[in-house]
Amino acid sequence: MASPHSHEWRAVCDKFNTAQNLSEVESRKDPENDPFRSKYKARELLREIYCTLKNFDVGENESVNDEADQRPTEQPVDGGMEEGFGRGHCGDSPAGSRAAKLGAVEYYLGVNHVETEELSAGEEHLMNCMTLLEKCCISPENVSLFIQVRNQLGILWAGRDEIEKAQGFLETAEAMYIRYMKEDGQPPMDLTEFFVAEEEALPQQERTKRFEMAYTHTLYYLAQVYKNLEQYEKAGGYCHSTLQRQLKFNQFIPLEWAINAATLSQYYITKTLYMEGRHCLSAASVIADLAGEVPSEASAQESEAEAEKRDQLRQKRAEIARCWIKYCLNLLQDAKKLLEDNIGELDMDRQAELRATRLQEEEEKERGRKSAVLFGSSDTFDSICGLEEKVSCVFPVDFEEARCIFLVGQTYVNQAKEYFEMDGHVTDHIEILQDHSALFKALAFFEEDLERRCKMHKRRVDMMEPICKDLNAQYYLLVCRQLQFELAETYYEMMDLKLAVANKQNDLDAHTVKKFNHLCSSSTKFYQMFLDSVRSPEGKWPEKLEDEVLRPALVAKFRVARLHSRLISSSKTVQLENLNRALECYNFVVQYCKDNPEAKSAVETELELSEEMVSLLPLKINRIQANLASCN
Amino acid sequence: MQHQQITHSGDSDSIKVFVRVRPLTQGTGLTTDGDQGLCLTVTSPNTIRLHSKPEPRTFTYDHVADMDITQDSVFSSVAKNIVESCINGYNGTIFAYGQTGSGKTFTMLGPSDFDNFTDDQRGVIPRSFEYLFFLINRESENAKSFLCKCSFIEIYNEQIYDLLDSASASLFLRENIKKGVFVEGAVEKFVTSAAEAYQVLSMGWRNRRVASTSMNRESSRSHAVFTMTLESKETAKEVVNIRTSQLNLVDLAGSERQRDTHTEGSRLKEASSINRSLMCLGQVIMALVDVSNGKSRHICYRDSKLTFLLRDSLGGNAKTYIIANVHPGSKCFGETLSTLQFAQRAKLIKNKAMINEDTQGNVR
Repeated sequence: MASPHSHEWRAVCDKFNTAQNLSEVESRKDPENDPFRSKYKARELLREIYCTLKNFDVGENESVNDEADQRPTEQPVDGGMEEGFGRGHCGDSPAGSRAAKLGAVEYYLGVNHVETEELSAGEEHLMNCMTLLEKCCISPENVSLFIQVRNQLGILWAGRDEIEKAQGFLETAEAMYIRYMKEDGQPPMDLTEFFVAEEEALPQQERTKRFEMAYTHTLYYLAQVYKNLEQYEKAGGYCHSTLQRQLKFNQFIPLEWAINAATLSQYYITKTLYMEGRHCLSAASVIADLAGEVPSEASAQESEAEAEKRDQLRQKRAEIARCWIKYCLNLLQDAKKLLEDNIGELDMDRQAELRATRLQEEEEKERGRKSAVLFGSSDTFDSICGLEEKVSCVFPVDFEEARCIFLVGQTYVNQAKEYFEMDGHVTDHIEILQDHSALFKALAFFEEDLERRCKMHKRRVDMMEPICKDLNAQYYLLVCRQLQFELAETYYEMMDLKLAVANKQNDLDAHTVKKFNHLCSSSTKFYQMFLDSVRSPEGKWPEKLEDEVLRPALVAKFRVARLHSRLISSSKTVQLENLNRALECYNFVVQYCKDNPEAKSAVETELELSEEMVSLLPLKINRIQANLASCN
Repeated sequence: MQHQQITHSGDSDSIKVFVRVRPLTQGTGLTTDGDQGLCLTVTSPNTIRLHSKPEPRTFTYDHVADMDITQDSVFSSVAKNIVESCINGYNGTIFAYGQTGSGKTFTMLGPSDFDNFTDDQRGVIPRSFEYLFFLINRESENAKSFLCKCSFIEIYNEQIYDLLDSASASLFLRENIKKGVFVEGAVEKFVTSAAEAYQVLSMGWRNRRVASTSMNRESSRSHAVFTMTLESKETAKEVVNIRTSQLNLVDLAGSERQRDTHTEGSRLKEASSINRSLMCLGQVIMALVDVSNGKSRHICYRDSKLTFLLRDSLGGNAKTYIIANVHPGSKCFGETLSTLQFAQRAKLIKNKAMINEDTQGNVR
């Protein structure tokens, strides 16, 4: 081997430096009609380096030369986890060092070819690198090369739609990292250091940083591979680890990281993993703050850069707030599902049960948590934990606990609305309002006092009704329909509650009756608005309802029927009128399902009740009619 | 011509798709000269067969037009109905989609030189203008008055530029409770005739070209959206009825440029090529959340500017036609397949048109 100080070796190092510079820096300035000019130049230099290296004296009379020239009978392919781990030459033996250097050049040639869209040639070089490495065992000198060549092969094969093959390389890279860190663990050499004079070796800290970065990339590619293989749980885990490592090694852009973590929280929420979701969100909030202060409105007016920064920061923070809202909302809704009995009321027995198992669960979770990957560097860890403590991650069992979660959610609602104002962000603003309404709805479930529960629903009406009136249905049809339906349901719920309260009293006073009828007709009004939106522009009812409105439209008809039959009136004529209308609507549901049998499954319960009413109501109507006739 | 009738008569609300096959030409770079192999056959007025291996595949659309179709019949099938609806208060959108060189601009505008307002070869856009103003003039006789304004914007690299004001910086999308999504600060020009509208269009189109040289970008990499806002006022029985509607004419970027959005497949995003910021991790997580089980959740990544602007036309409340342009050359097999698949997916998007009637009780 040429001595590290020889003139020849210096020339190789210089060439390598030039090639690196061409490939990384110069290539960005290449003209569009000759996009790979610098890359091709770099390639030439790498080839020269390769030839020079091959001709270097091996020294110590080892027969590596022949060995390295032999074509392997079969190409090494990763897949079996621990298979193909280095054996043979020691990493720092001259032969091993020579093989590693040649491997590194092959690696750079491979990457170069891949970047210039010559995939097969790139693959060949990368595989040559693998073959050369086969003869070495893993050492601090070459472990980074072991991992990075596999990263590149993973990318290459995934690009050819052979995901399993990519997975094999990447998983081997992962296993190698783990083993190396267990067995050796000292900061390994970087790939570029093969070609620098000894005195220019990188400091230990930089070596660690680069090595860890290469491994972070392995995990990042694995996250993508598992996503493509539809192994979502695994993909989620790898996303989490990637984020965690970015934080640990301080390799991240705060806002981007925070948004990724906030999005990951939404994944955990859908899996009902609230502890993990909360952890992601707390970390997202803390890291987003690292992105700096929001520039004031005044400074935003002065400079465009400040204006953009202000918008970015405000928007991303509002987005994170919205993820928090969903966290609180889902936690409340899931708790409600656990606690409700078959008519949707709080089940006391289950409440007691849940309380009892709570203690036990908490302990288990605490244990589980120790094994889970946590976010945070030493600087941020405390702030993240501090934020976590502000909201529970276990299901609330009573009103007090539910209220605490609700209040946190409401705070984030207000925060999110500051950026997503109605003027300019209509859709987002309304989505936030809908969440706020849903938070109230979930909280109302835990409230035992019916009057107070009713007031909570009134709050929902107050926030949605004015918008529903103003919103242009030509552009926001879907949102309009959602609001109409929700308002109708809210009034319906209030009407039910009023009835329940009234039933406890002995006699109905005129005021209560008036209020009750008002709620009934308000609910009817919004169901009717929704139903009208299904009509054609000429006002015709469609023969066949579209899938997405089938159930809501039939349910709306059914509810309208019930509402009509519930209206209270002392006048027989009015009673008769209302009942006839109700019958008409029940008939509609029955007739529609008769004409379109495929609709039956969508509204089973409603259909059954409607059929019953269609047979019963005429009797009642006849009785009133007879009564009226006899009175006259 | 039975099939054609189905396309014309039915008032089905789903997005309609029109596939147009352009003729083979020499020297476009898309056909190897001499290789006249075709990768598809039009088998009926609404089916197309792609000669894929091992089995040929047949695709069905609302209409399939072979190479010999005239510009006029493209207009009649695609745009006539939509323009009529616009007069009656609906929003309408016509998209042109396809690979660069597949004939999008020819279909929409016509031959590239611009003083051919009377040319037989003129495309869907000039014909739509003529028809729109023909209808306006007819309706105006019945105590109905119209106001028509145009805007023309370009979306390039997720930035919005105003083609009617080349000096302006990039613009923002905003939403308003009354008028939906709009581009804030975009210039709106009032027009009173087809010729004026066409003038606005060609002025903007020229700006698009200018931009393409000064900023070194290809026009096929940007989406151009020409919007006509129509306001009609009718006084009947002491009540003033005001209706507004929009007609969007969209020339999409060449489909081969849209790799990053949906058609990318399983390719991994490399850390080195995205400047060490792991942008795409977000995409992975988004996919995880996407497949969730109907729970309420919030995803922080926004739609692209184009889908946001045209949200209303894609599954909202408008009448929409997509013209998918394909090149029949066998070299273009891959792109053609992906265009046909896109067009088929688009069929699944449901649409519902509804009149917006603002009834003001002003008594005159």
